[in-house]
Amino acid sequence: MAAPSMAAALAASLPAPQAAPTPAAPTYEAIPASMSKAIDIEAEIPLTCVQLDGIVITKILKHSREAFSTTAHGLLLGLDLDGILEVSNSFALPNHHNDDDEKATKSIARYQQSMLRSLKEVQGDDNVVGFYQATSLGAFFNQSLIDTQAIHQDRLRHGGVVIVHDISQTARGNASFRAFKLTPAFMDAYRRANFSTAGLISHRLTFASILEEIPLRVRTNALLSSYLNTLAIPSTSTFSDAHPGVATTSALPPSYSVLDIGNVGLTKNLEQVAEAIDNYRTEEGNVAYLSRQIAREKLRAETYVAKRKEENARRVAQGLNALPEEDVSRLFRIPPEPSRLESMLLLGQVDAYAKSLESIAGAGLVKMYAAKASSGV
Amino acid sequence: MPIRSSSSAAYIQNSSTSTNGVPSTRPTSLTIHPSALFSILDHYLRRTDAQHRVIGTLLGTRTDSTVDVKSAFAVLHSETDEQVAVDMDYHRAMYDLCTRVRPNETIVGWYSTGSDLNTYSALIQNFYSQETAPNQAVHVALDTGTEEEKSAGVKAYVSSPVGIFPKPENCVFVPIPCELRFHEAERSGLDLLLSPTPSSNQTDLDVLASSLTDVQNMLNRVLAYVQSVLRGEVVGDKAVGRYLMDVLGTGVEEDGGWTAGLQDTLMVTYLANLVRSQAEVSARLALTTAA
Repeated sequence: MAAPSMAAALAASLPAPQAAPTPAAPTYEAIPASMSKAIDIEAEIPLTCVQLDGIVITKILKHSREAFSTTAHGLLLGLDLDGILEVSNSFALPNHHNDDDEKATKSIARYQQSMLRSLKEVQGDDNVVGFYQATSLGAFFNQSLIDTQAIHQDRLRHGGVVIVHDISQTARGNASFRAFKLTPAFMDAYRRANFSTAGLISHRLTFASILEEIPLRVRTNALLSSYLNTLAIPSTSTFSDAHPGVATTSALPPSYSVLDIGNVGLTKNLEQVAEAIDNYRTEEGNVAYLSRQIAREKLRAETYVAKRKEENARRVAQGLNALPEEDVSRLFRIPPEPSRLESMLLLGQVDAYAKSLESIAGAGLVKMYAAKASSGV
Repeated sequence: MPIRSSSSAAYIQNSSTSTNGVPSTRPTSLTIHPSALFSILDHYLRRTDAQHRVIGTLLGTRTDSTVDVKSAFAVLHSETDEQVAVDMDYHRAMYDLCTRVRPNETIVGWYSTGSDLNTYSALIQNFYSQETAPNQAVHVALDTGTEEEKSAGVKAYVSSPVGIFPKPENCVFVPIPCELRFHEAERSGLDLLLSPTPSSNQTDLDVLASSLTDVQNMLNRVLAYVQSVLRGEVVGDKAVGRYLMDVLGTGVEEDGGWTAGLQDTLMVTYLANLVRSQAEVSARLALTTAA
């Protein structure tokens, strides 16, 4: 599968956390208090907000749209400053589905290294702060995302963030970018790889508490916003008798596509919900089967031990030696508790699909009433 | 829609037959994707103090007479009074990296900020023409609007040799029309960037509400105009009046279909709510112990 190999590729290629740059002359000056908020060597200031640059948004949009058959993912570059993670650039990572794991891992790592080096030469940012992933209809809980984010969170300053971009919601007219981190409770459980029922209970994990959302802000630098506004200025046609519909044109006319009636994609969403529920039931069936097997094995082991004890008691009563208590765990191999992570993720998918279904249907309802009101007048 | 308010572009028509019967492949128009444009602006912002203008490569696809520029990357170059140098190895390496992600994009030309066309431009154009052979390289000159007397805009050129003996330093740049092109699905992202206070956590209903407010304001303006015409304060423009009648006179004639649609939508909402609460309950149930 490409998923664990990509995670391993990132682990191999991420730079080790760098120590603070020491000046050449050995006189260490203390950081003045006014600058202590900006120069944060130990990554002590917690992240409160993620700030995306305009260029990152357009690049992610373009990449997600072009790669809609395969999942689009890539890396984010930027810097964290005073509690705000500023993402200033991004680049896409190639997909490897057909290659075997070894080659794919190495080639992705090499690609990343050369890309970072090249960007550094043209004075771009080359500090990886996270990765982005495109999804559709809101369902982004999958194993590869969690693996990659867990690795990032160990290796990068402040842990990396995941930016999830929803293609279908953007196509509907509401550009959606959300930033997430893994919760500390989940990271703890992940490190211990303990997703049995007892583990889940001790960490109080449900699908809603795997990821925590960080508020996101979009920033355009002054040059970009002035350029965009220049493009969007409507220019009047030079013909004095031009038809009013085409008299003023601009490179970026305002769009009202969000007002279209008609539930686009509703059937697809319903299918996805049904499919996700089916997958969840299959997974739960597997877990139940394994649990039943474990219970059966345990029962057999306990009856064996009980019989042994009974026999020993009988023998002692008869005056013979007691038979040794054999190591039960060697006779009956009790399989380990199944990991419930997969079913938790699937449940999260079901919930996400249902949530986007709800928002589409809700907006559709409002639009239908609006259309009726305007026509009934 | 041209990207500058007054465009001096020449609209070239490819001649259908030429001397040897091969159709000429000169590009006659250009479309640019916003991400390429923003990359160029970003590179301009990051240039070192010594560079007056920056150049880079354009990647994209070409059809018969149009070139679509999809992305751009910066290239190291240095320019003094005597010579100009472009780092070709860097250019090749970056191009290899980019083709791994997007295999269908090829080199289509180069860009520079600042719209001066001088000998160095001709030399660089020659170099890029060799890269894009057998097709011609396009040159995009981007005005960032930061210099005086130059407004922000984009101009595109193709080149042809000029002079009695064609030399690489001489060529004439023919301007061609260029426009901004992006997919409809990316439109909302650009709207987000255009709005004065972009926040990325709006729900669908928020976006709907703001669009409806916009439309309402527009209708109010039109209503005020029509009422002033009716009162006789303003002489009405007949073309505008007819246009308004055409647009606003059409009505919606749906009747029976509306209630069925409403019922479907309500049922879907109810179903979605049910699924969500079921998922939540199931997640909590998984936390209970078996014993």
